[in-house]
Amino acid sequence: MIRAIAIVIVLLLNIQMPVYGAQAKPLEDIRAPIENGIALLKDPQYAVASKRDEQREKIWEIIQDIFDFRIISMMALAREWKTFNAKQQKDFTEAFTELLKTNYLNKIQGQFHDEKVIFLGEDLLTEKKAVVRSKILRQDTEIPMDYKVVFSHGKWRIYDINIEGISLIKNYRTQFKNILAKESPDALIERIRETTREEKKNGKPNA
Amino acid sequence: MEPNRHIGWFWVMITLAGLFFVITNAPAQEAPQQPQTLSAEDEAFAVAEALEEDEEPIPQIADPLYYLNKGFFHFNDKLYFWGLKPIAEIYRSVLPRPFRTGIRNFYANLKMPIRFVNCLLQGKTDRAGVELGRFMVNTVFGGLGFWNAANLEPNLSEPPDEDLGQTFGSYGIPHGFYLVWPILGPSTLRDTFGRVGDMFIDPVTVMAPDASSYLNAHEQVNRLSLNIGDYDSIKKAAVDPYESFKGIYLQYRAKELKQ
Repeated sequence: MIRAIAIVIVLLLNIQMPVYGAQAKPLEDIRAPIENGIALLKDPQYAVASKRDEQREKIWEIIQDIFDFRIISMMALAREWKTFNAKQQKDFTEAFTELLKTNYLNKIQGQFHDEKVIFLGEDLLTEKKAVVRSKILRQDTEIPMDYKVVFSHGKWRIYDINIEGISLIKNYRTQFKNILAKESPDALIERIRETTREEKKNGKPNA
Repeated sequence: MEPNRHIGWFWVMITLAGLFFVITNAPAQEAPQQPQTLSAEDEAFAVAEALEEDEEPIPQIADPLYYLNKGFFHFNDKLYFWGLKPIAEIYRSVLPRPFRTGIRNFYANLKMPIRFVNCLLQGKTDRAGVELGRFMVNTVFGGLGFWNAANLEPNLSEPPDEDLGQTFGSYGIPHGFYLVWPILGPSTLRDTFGRVGDMFIDPVTVMAPDASSYLNAHEQVNRLSLNIGDYDSIKKAAVDPYESFKGIYLQYRAKELKQ
């Protein structure tokens, strides 16, 4: 009898019920959208000028899904965020997101030439913070690119990109910090808008 | 046994079984939930703050020569758009890419002594050995370095570049302050001393002092021809280009120092 109990206890201890992790893996959350984006870029139906805007919109949808622009904006200002009033915070987030969108969509759409993205792996730093490592193969060069991701609102989203050791957020933070040392938040927001306008004027890629 | 005692034990087992299932399925312990009164904004800011805490601080540097540096920055910018970039574009149209990567490899191979000596000065003797090995393989089997034959050998994979500026950094010498040199571009006090020092072990400068400025110019144009557009992109994406390039230079050097 005792033996029967013992056996049952041992069995119970060894049954591994599938424990559903609190979150899916970071790599999976961003890999599929990125690969979809690349497929979109390669899709021959968008090679005509008339379809470029449509392609842009679709790519932007993907980007909005996997990047967390609010966290990105907050981190780009760091401590200065709290010195902005609510309207300025909102304007800044809008302006900065628009800057990133214009600049990087132009670049992605205009300069994509069959690069391949190879995902190398992920490093979970804390429960909510991870790094997804990848490299971009372009002609004969390899460019290491890391995505820093945060788990918020149920999925992993990107909050920083690291290319060859250069962090995008840190780069903008340096610039904004220096501008805010001499100018007001509204002036910074206006400068961001100015940069975006310049880019819109000059940068739109041709088919 | 009497039937009653069977049933008794049976219920004990069920209870035990239930307990075990509950324990093994407890969700991963998370930090206590934030009170629901926090707005989405505050929550996001808390997340952002937490993320920043672990980040490495942005490399800072003094810029006492700000106006001079900025002047040279603008000068270099014009030089790029009106001089270097057009030349590099013509060069690119004339020479097919494999030739240009070959030339890049050739110069990189030639400058091995700089990397070799600095590896030794930093105590990185293994890497120094790899640099030497690569040099021999690439020179003999790679046509004087045009082709990276050494990449075929897994033990000889390319180590990160070392230079005197990094060597000084590894000794704990700080950057000093920011400098923008005309033509040569961004640097720091420490890195400038490093560059000057490296010239004494640079084969190009040592063996062909008269031709060295032409050869170095060629090397730079060749390298630019492989990367035309990078400067333009970074500049366009920047709200303050001067600060952006300063930040990028410092981040890049900090990364190189770590490697």
